[in-house]
Amino acid sequence: MTAILASDKLKFKEILNFPPVAIDRGEVIFITGRSGSGKSTLLKMFNGIYTPDEGAVYYNGIDISELDTLALRKEVLLVAQGVFLFSGTIQDNFAAFYDYRELPPPQAEMIERFLQLCCMNFPLAARCNTMSGGERQRIYLAICLSFCPQVLMLDEPTSALDAATANRLLQNLRDFAKDAAVTLLIISHDPSLAEKYGDRVIALEGGA
Amino acid sequence: MNGIIELNLFQFGLVYLLLLVILAIMKKSRIKQTRLLLVASLRMTVQLVLAGLILTYIFGNPQPIFTTLYVCAMIGFSIHRVLSKNPTLNRRFKWIVALSIAGAGLLIELFFIKVVIGTAIFNPQYAIPLSGMIFGNTMTGLNLGLKSFTESIEAEKNRIETLLNLGVRPSKILLPFVNNSLETALLPTMNSMIGMGIVSLPGMMTGQILSGTLPAVAILYQIAIMIAICTVVCLSVFSSLYWGHKTLYNQRNQLLIPGWYN
Repeated sequence: MTAILASDKLKFKEILNFPPVAIDRGEVIFITGRSGSGKSTLLKMFNGIYTPDEGAVYYNGIDISELDTLALRKEVLLVAQGVFLFSGTIQDNFAAFYDYRELPPPQAEMIERFLQLCCMNFPLAARCNTMSGGERQRIYLAICLSFCPQVLMLDEPTSALDAATANRLLQNLRDFAKDAAVTLLIISHDPSLAEKYGDRVIALEGGA
Repeated sequence: MNGIIELNLFQFGLVYLLLLVILAIMKKSRIKQTRLLLVASLRMTVQLVLAGLILTYIFGNPQPIFTTLYVCAMIGFSIHRVLSKNPTLNRRFKWIVALSIAGAGLLIELFFIKVVIGTAIFNPQYAIPLSGMIFGNTMTGLNLGLKSFTESIEAEKNRIETLLNLGVRPSKILLPFVNNSLETALLPTMNSMIGMGIVSLPGMMTGQILSGTLPAVAILYQIAIMIAICTVVCLSVFSSLYWGHKTLYNQRNQLLIPGWYN
């Protein structure tokens, strides 16, 4: 079986070295490591934001340097740590991001379904600029999930959540990934969450 | 209309007394810019005296080469000022800015002198003062536009990265910043057009009236030059930012903004 995402040993900016990885479709992978070990950089190489200095990344067996990066990023979607939302309501945000992806605005039922998946029970008319960091993070995650990517990469999605919400969210994400055969790559500093919800843990060495 | 009353050195020197008013207010308000005020006043005096001497020579010897050299010096200085105020621009972006200043300025100047006024393009009486106004305003407008562009991009880094991660084309992400910065650059010129004749009599018109030109003629020139200035600011800022923003990403749709990823 060809891995959906794989890489050689990657080198970036001389100081960062990544081990070769191979990730199958529908796998839930946790990436751990100390701050500065290059976890976020690794994800940015997987969606073509960075080009490795040495080694290559493969998507469905094809070197991503041969692929259209825009199409790749639509399938290998990265939810970075800093969340950006437009001003306006939850529904406005879905519409704005869909517009950027040149898609018609999604139906209300669909939005609600993805909000619930992300443990958000807010009305669609709720304004995003008054929400907490954790709530904004989950709204953006709901938007990204609704795009149905092949691979979803999450950079510390539970950092602003309490333990109970973090557990519920990860359980929901894991169930969704298994049902829809979506591959999840999750950066986390919490080894217990990685053990509980991950099929595998990739530990990066180095860093502070 | 009477001709202009010429100032002798004593009369001219009196105007420097007004600087004492500024110095007194600065001292009372504890503004520590007295040195800058003195340097700026001195520099302006020296530069304008030199310009006066050079212009006197050029007007007495109206050769195309002198006009060309003077206009080239103005263009070079404008480009230098804009680029030195925006050191973070990459090399290609800087070239685009330089070409935009020179291209837009010369195009409008050529149109103004040759088509609107209908005189020789090397006529120093028209080419030099018009160049001063055109390139001076281009410099100010472009500085404002570039400052707004680079600052808003830095402030909206999160938005840009988020959209890039979603697979949005970089040009689609960056074009709203181009449009907003163009608007910012154009606003002062358009606002000054709104107030013109009511709030202020502009410098060129004042100069012409002082030197004995009929107000009706001075007004026509002023209207024409204001429209030319607005056009040149619009053209130079648009071409700088429209072509310049394309230097901020590569063919792999990776951002090349200094300090972000490199």
